[in-house]
Formats: sequence, C-alpha cells, structure tokens
Amino acid sequence: MSALGEARIRVPERIIRGELIVVNAIISHPMDTGFFRTAEGQPIPAYFIKNVVVRYGDQEVARFEWTSGVSRDPVISFTLRADSEAPLSMVWTDNKGDVFEQSANIAFVSA
Amino acid sequence: MSPADNTSRRHFLRASALATAGLLGSGVLFPGERLLAATTLAGDPGDPEVPNEEVARILRGLFGDRPIRRGHIQLDMPAAAEDGRVVPVIIESDLPMTPERHVKAVHLIVDFNPDAHLAAFHLTPAVGTVSLSTRIKMKRSTWVRAIAETNTGEVWADYARVQVLLNGCG
Repeated sequence: MSALGEARIRVPERIIRGELIVVNAIISHPMDTGFFRTAEGQPIPAYFIKNVVVRYGDQEVARFEWTSGVSRDPVISFTLRADSEAPLSMVWTDNKGDVFEQSANIAFVSA
Repeated sequence: MSPADNTSRRHFLRASALATAGLLGSGVLFPGERLLAATTLAGDPGDPEVPNEEVARILRGLFGDRPIRRGHIQLDMPAAAEDGRVVPVIIESDLPMTPERHVKAVHLIVDFNPDAHLAAFHLTPAVGTVSLSTRIKMKRSTWVRAIAETNTGEVWADYARVQVLLNGCG
C-alpha cells in the first residue's frame, strides 16, 4: 500500500449462491491522531478515516464509524450473505472530507 | 498470582469501587451518573469497573439505563500487545441476524485511550453473522469493551484486558 486512499477489497474467488462469505478490505491512510509532532516539532494534525459505508447492490449493508484509534492503513473484515450477483462497494470518508471508493463483484460459480 | 489471590484482589477492587461510588453518591455526581455506576458495578462477576467519567458518559449515551450483560459476543485480543500501534481485534457473536432479531451495532471502547469510543460498527441482517476483525491503537494497558446492541434493545458485552508494552497513541 502506498498512495493515499488506495484500497483493495478481497472476496472469495468461487462463491455459491446463498453462501456466507468473508470480505477483507484495506485502505492506505495515515490515520494520524493529532498527538504527534514532526522531527522539527511541528504538530501533525489529526487525519483519519471517520466513516465507511458498505453497499451490496443498492442496499447499505454496514456502516462503520471510526476514530484515529484505528491503526494506520486500516483493515476491516466482515461477513456477507451472498444472495445476489451484484457489486459490493465501499466508500471511505476521512475527516478532511476526502472520499475513496472501491468495489468488488459478487458473482456465482455456475453449477 | 494464584487464582485465590486474584479472587481476593478482585473482591477488594470491587469493594473499594463500591465504597468510592458510595462516597461519590453523597451528592458529587448527578443522579443518573450514580445510577449508572451502581448498575455497572452490580453487573456480572468479573466485569471491569467503569474507570472514569469519560467511559461512564459513553456507556450512558449509548445504552442509557439498560443492563449491560455479559454473553453472546466474544472479543478476542492478545493478552499482551508488544506494539500499541497495531493491536488485533476480533469480534464475533452467536446472536441471530434476521430481520426480526439482529445486532444493529457493535461498539468498541478502549477505557484509557484518548478517544475511548474507538469505533462503532453498524450492521444489518445482510451480513449474515457478526464476525469483525480490525487493528487498533492502544495508549496503555487497559480493559477493552466490545458491546453489541440488538434491534430489540438488548445489550451484550465481552471484555478483554490487554497489557500494552509500547504506547501506540503518542
């Protein structure tokens, strides 16, 4: 992970309709607390992801509210009942209002 | 420390906390705060006491006067974290995730962090089950609380005591 806001979502390669799958997501972000200073003594302002919205198709399935207490380059994993072929999208919003998006396609293996 | 020592220490801590609550009850706190302190102290054996007004305020704001019971949610964290900047957290629950009855939110509270209410995970039945994992920062050794709230108003908690060797919050 390098560029700010670069995000990945990982879902299983083979998904069967109705299966409970694990979704893993990571985004590159400094998650600065505002409590640190640079080597020159300049305060580093708080800069962190504060909100994550997860949509599956057109439905919001989860929403996470974070503080700068989540570690740098935040990872999150959660489950999802894969009951339709639809995109799974995630939108991360930080405290400066920058918005980062990523999506993964949920498609079923043909029986 | 032997289990017996641990038990007596726990009793001592509980007794002193009750004594403190009693003293504070003589008018220093608002009635609601006194009630919350009493409710939490009367919780399940082994539950961590509410350590400060900040955590009391967070719990009161989230759950009001509802009892916070231990069970149905599992918080897994290392007993000792070498580096407080990156401490793994796993939260799972056996509660159903149906439209009729489901966990609508899981709150992660780290007692002695600068921002104690570290994260809230709002969920819907579409996730199928509660199984969350992430990594968090911890300033010092403290209790961590994972508290689930159902759509029917139940509140279920689990606690983990984590020893932090390197401060991860600056």
